[in-house]
Amino acid sequence: MRMNKEASTEARALDATKKVKNDIILISALLLLVLIAALALFLFRVTGDTVTVGVDGKLFGEYSLSEDRVVEIKNGNGYNILVIEDGKAYVREASCPDGICSSHRPIGHSGESIICLPNKVVVEVHTQSQSTPDIIA
Amino acid sequence: MKKRQLISILLLTCILCSSLILPSCNTQKSKYVAHSFDYFDTATTITGYEKDKATFDRTSGEILDLLFEYHRLFTIYHRFEGIENLCTVNELKYGVHRVVTVDNRIIEMLLYAKEMYRVTDGKLNIAMGSVLSIWHDYRTAGLDEPLEAKLPPVDMLTEAAEHTNIDALVIDEENSTVWISDPKTTLDVGAVAKGYAVEMVARELEAKGISGYVINVGGNVRTVGTKPNGEKWLAGIENPNTESDEAYVEYLQLAGESVVTSGSYQRYYTVDGKNYHHIIDPQTLLPAEGYLSVSVVCKNSADGDALSTALFCMPFDKGLALVESLEGVDALWIMSDGSKRYSSGFEKYATTP
Repeated sequence: MRMNKEASTEARALDATKKVKNDIILISALLLLVLIAALALFLFRVTGDTVTVGVDGKLFGEYSLSEDRVVEIKNGNGYNILVIEDGKAYVREASCPDGICSSHRPIGHSGESIICLPNKVVVEVHTQSQSTPDIIA
Repeated sequence: MKKRQLISILLLTCILCSSLILPSCNTQKSKYVAHSFDYFDTATTITGYEKDKATFDRTSGEILDLLFEYHRLFTIYHRFEGIENLCTVNELKYGVHRVVTVDNRIIEMLLYAKEMYRVTDGKLNIAMGSVLSIWHDYRTAGLDEPLEAKLPPVDMLTEAAEHTNIDALVIDEENSTVWISDPKTTLDVGAVAKGYAVEMVARELEAKGISGYVINVGGNVRTVGTKPNGEKWLAGIENPNTESDEAYVEYLQLAGESVVTSGSYQRYYTVDGKNYHHIIDPQTLLPAEGYLSVSVVCKNSADGDALSTALFCMPFDKGLALVESLEGVDALWIMSDGSKRYSSGFEKYATTP
């Protein structure tokens, strides 16, 4: 604000209305540019929701939740078929005997996870939204 | 003069830009997560807020190392070269149990478990290994070959139940030894060891002044302090009805407390279309009925672990009376029909996201 005032005082002192007009155009253009950049950043963040797959503590892959796909997760003789659909992820089929992972409801909120103990697989959602729990018990 | 104007405009733009972009830059602590499958035959998740990944890796590494030490001592399924643990305590030599000199942490945990036997009127009984191992074997076989899944014969269970007397566990504090006097009695600490270990690790962190962490060992959750900004942790109690679109039935705010859920909806096997879960009532010797899940909120995660299992095996009235008699312990029961019951102090944790 102070800078703004200072700039405009200088301009008035010069009494060159044309120059002031140009300055306003320049400032407006820059402002618009900043706004567009901010908007782009904001939009990029919203679509940045992903799901990560970890196998035995190592990252197996990271996938966008906004793109439907099927991922086959292999670990030794075990496998889990991960499906990403309508912004949610679920395990459609798995080699593990207990079937805890494949009976888990689809996950799509930050911090939610599906864990397959026999295959040592962790599927985890990462989003920017804040209102989801930190802990699931 | 023209130059000065230009500089002014540039400065102005810079200020505008930074005021827009800076808040989205993360100069504060960020959230990190680490997973492990190496402890207590379940999944472990460490969540923590740190200024960088290296710091988080160091602290979470320390936590995992500590958990591993407790796992080595408390496991009944694995032997480790050169150490006496509960697996070796359970073993027979020449048809009898040995008097085993064990680490003091084992002594402390077993004494605690014996105390919880008294508190829960025998619903938490770590001397039930003989009965629980039968269920464990039948469940494992039933999961491997679902078409061949069978229930354990009643005779087998009642015979095993003859050897579940907690007094057969003889603890000598002075000499740091453990002995099981009945050769057919074995220990199963599955309902208490995890919670106990998590509590001990959490206390070590607290003693070091560490905050902003959550330790979760197979659903046994213990918060250490709050988030860095002083904000409480938001915990979702999982909906035991896994078909439902509602993932959580309740939200809690926690700051240093523990929450442990015992549920019939996760570890089970199916015989003739009926599900048989893993929480076995010491009186009926069958999977306990009456609830979909019981969650316990309290400071001590060992209490949470032991009590959630015990409450699962108790009628609601009796369980409620027990919870109300204990200082700083609250519980949520989800009945078989999906309805919810609360202890009187539960409300103070409840929140909406």
